[in-house]
Amino acid sequence: MNNRQREEYRLLLDGQLPWPQTKNLMSSYKDRDRFFKILEIYQDKVEWDEKILLPIGEHLFIVQKGKQRIVKCSCGHEFGDYRKNWKFQAVLRVRNTVEDLEGIYPHADVCDPSWMEIREFICPGCGTLLEVEACSPGYPITFDFCPDLEGFYSQWLNHPL
Amino acid sequence: MTEANSLNSVLRKRLEESETMLAETGCYDGITTLECRDMDPLKFETIHMKLRAGCVSAREIARRISASPGVREVGEMVAAIYTPEGDAVAISNGIMVHVHTMSRFIKWMIRNDYEHDPGINPGDIFANNDAFIGTVQVPDVMDVVPIFHEGELVGWAGAVCHELEAGGITPGGDVALAQERFGEGLFICAEKIGLNDRIRRDYVIRCERNLRMPIYWILDEQAKVAACFSMRDRVLELIDEIGVDFYKRISKEFIEEGRRTQLARVRQLTVPGTYRSNTFYGHVTKGKPGFQPLGDPDWLYSIPLKMDIELDGKIVVDFEGAQPWGYHSMNCTPAGMDGGMFVTLTQHMNFEGLVNDGAWLATQLKLPRGTWTNPDSEFCATATSWALLLPAYGAFQRMLSRGFLARGFLEEVFVGQVNSPMIEMGGISQYGKPFGIAHFECAAAGSGALAIKDGLDTAYVGWNPESDMGNIEIWELDMPMVYLGRSILPNSGGAGKYRGGNAFMSTWVINKSPEVRIVTSEHSSRVFDNAGMCGGYPAPTCQKHRVVRNSNIYQRVEQRRPLAHSTGLDQNDLEQFYQGNQQIIEGPHIAAPMKEGDIFTHSYNGGGGYGDPLERDPVLVLDDIIQGHSSQIHGERVHGIRFKGTIDDETLEIDFSQTQKTRKRLRTERLQDAVPVMEWYESEKDKVKQGDFSPEVLKMYRAAMDLSEEFAQEFRAFWQLENGFAYPQNEQVDLSNE
Ligand SMILES: [Zn+2]
Repeated sequence: MNNRQREEYRLLLDGQLPWPQTKNLMSSYKDRDRFFKILEIYQDKVEWDEKILLPIGEHLFIVQKGKQRIVKCSCGHEFGDYRKNWKFQAVLRVRNTVEDLEGIYPHADVCDPSWMEIREFICPGCGTLLEVEACSPGYPITFDFCPDLEGFYSQWLNHPL
Repeated sequence: MTEANSLNSVLRKRLEESETMLAETGCYDGITTLECRDMDPLKFETIHMKLRAGCVSAREIARRISASPGVREVGEMVAAIYTPEGDAVAISNGIMVHVHTMSRFIKWMIRNDYEHDPGINPGDIFANNDAFIGTVQVPDVMDVVPIFHEGELVGWAGAVCHELEAGGITPGGDVALAQERFGEGLFICAEKIGLNDRIRRDYVIRCERNLRMPIYWILDEQAKVAACFSMRDRVLELIDEIGVDFYKRISKEFIEEGRRTQLARVRQLTVPGTYRSNTFYGHVTKGKPGFQPLGDPDWLYSIPLKMDIELDGKIVVDFEGAQPWGYHSMNCTPAGMDGGMFVTLTQHMNFEGLVNDGAWLATQLKLPRGTWTNPDSEFCATATSWALLLPAYGAFQRMLSRGFLARGFLEEVFVGQVNSPMIEMGGISQYGKPFGIAHFECAAAGSGALAIKDGLDTAYVGWNPESDMGNIEIWELDMPMVYLGRSILPNSGGAGKYRGGNAFMSTWVINKSPEVRIVTSEHSSRVFDNAGMCGGYPAPTCQKHRVVRNSNIYQRVEQRRPLAHSTGLDQNDLEQFYQGNQQIIEGPHIAAPMKEGDIFTHSYNGGGGYGDPLERDPVLVLDDIIQGHSSQIHGERVHGIRFKGTIDDETLEIDFSQTQKTRKRLRTERLQDAVPVMEWYESEKDKVKQGDFSPEVLKMYRAAMDLSEEFAQEFRAFWQLENGFAYPQNEQVDLSNE
């Protein structure tokens, strides 16, 4: 990756890439090695050393820590084995009253809290809001994504994990 | 049908053979090598381009014949060319949903031996709008014509228009109040409606006598048939140029290449694994006129989705755990589910290469029998199936987007489509004649956010990649209503680092009509039927309808006093400006007819947000406030911005140092207010075990657990409930309409 491209992807990640260049990225052929280029930029941005194996959210990564593969927040907080839902290791704020809901929806109509609640999954390390679930009371927590990490690296990337 | 006839059905045998070849070789129709492409890749592309151009220009021809503003103005139409077996080779732009639904229609005729009765001959015209045969909803009327070359069937040309009036129990196309098939309107069930290139007169008479506004439907038929003839001519010209055998071979290679491209694209843009998502939809009609006692007046659906991306690039989407079909118009057939999948894929994956049925072949939908996705009763209604389709495929888009994010393609991440409630109306027009119409300005909702920028404001719907709300003046020609305003709805996009696109609201006065019946559909007022991603919030539910009956607007106009053009930020402008009978109606507007001087408002949905709202660039927040896209209170509460100056004297600016402090404080407060998830889980467990939910929520869980042992087991395992745990039948659910 040359410096120009590195700068372009860094800006893309930060939402700062000007629209004509973004549009160009969207419309032109996708670069085959984008994955490793983006990993490199993520790895430069975080302050910890564990090797990033896969981004799975705006702030969440699957990383190699010793022999384990765990979910880690950009702030460094660790959520445990990536094959288990990281949400169980998060802290949660539930909005299930009209008053609480209106905190997020001023001047707008909100859901009926007896039919639906808002669950905010927050990083215990940095207080970042990592995921929001909008579901009925009692609905099991959703495991958004469990990647086939081995298959991905060996068969799609042809790269050792 | 005699056995001999059935055996002689060449076409059906060919279809079965093609399916066997696919099963045996894994390749479309057994096309394991792309000989035509390998021989001359440039020629391969050029020929596909010609066919695609034929479809695009056919659609444009049709748009100029149609009388319907749905087709003319907002382009609710698509045209495509098929193989003899009914697989799409090339398609136009427009409502691409229908490429595979038409395919199902053609295959249905083949499987039902139409070759013998009623016969498939040169010059025949077939039409269909039966979703169990192949379409999404009753207004989606499709026409296909066979293409014969020297007596041999070499393909089909087909076109679909979304009709603005279907002659159902409620006016318009999305027949909201239909609780069974029998209220949905005029059904054409794979019918031969024309011979010798002419639409039959008796068919036209049937349309004239069964629709509120037959001119739209009938002229759309002419438009679609013209489009089909145009595509037929193109194919025959091409055959003259390249020879029939070469055409037959290459048209199949196009599909096989489409299939391979789709698999390759998945392997290129995503990450294999298991993705999950869910969304919800709530329906509220209790106490409204028009309720029929077959189903519950109020109900709640959960819409869970699981997507497996397999190592060969195949996408398998599973709707296990979905709710049962119901006595309402929001059920969907497998054809409609295909349509939703196809139109989503064309937007996210098939933006290069050949777009055709190949993409569909590289995916699989698991639609549990008996659910709204695959009803086991063909009496059930599907007239407003988009109400559930759009939330479902919005969730599909978020799952795909998680894959794009993981693979590093941030520019493709998209929080997805949302519902966009429709208005249907009928009664007496401003010209003093009976009328009926669907108002299609809904084809311009807010889109979900992207991972790198805000969503599109008032410019996106899932079903048509070329979304368009149409010009006000055109709609005013076709309905007895005059716009008082069309305005951006502030704060209607979901909050996030990047917000969802905002929706708009329209405000009308009924004009020059003694009677207009307005029915709206696809509202989920009690639950958000969309979601955010990576810390973004769902968009709010649509605003309630605000209505002023017997308003004094004409007096105000005469007195040249100012008018309210929307409900305003505090939603009380109508009350402040107009005298009359003020009404607020939640969910679908089902009410007594309105008349001249009555004021009506309707709002559409915004999209979900992306990322933590506390990470939003303060400058973007300020810009939104200045542009009227959000309110200052929203910026303060949701984004933690602190301001200096005021908006009124144009001195509003950001206090950056206070904003930084505030955001830090809000993060700390979040951590103070939140509890560890395991702690929440322990406290929630009892509530779940007791079934301490509202009747609608309880009914939703019970229905899903009854229908799906897999869902029931997952639910029990999650909450550590004993084997065989079930919620008892709850007699408290009030099925009456009082
Ligand atoms: Zn963190």
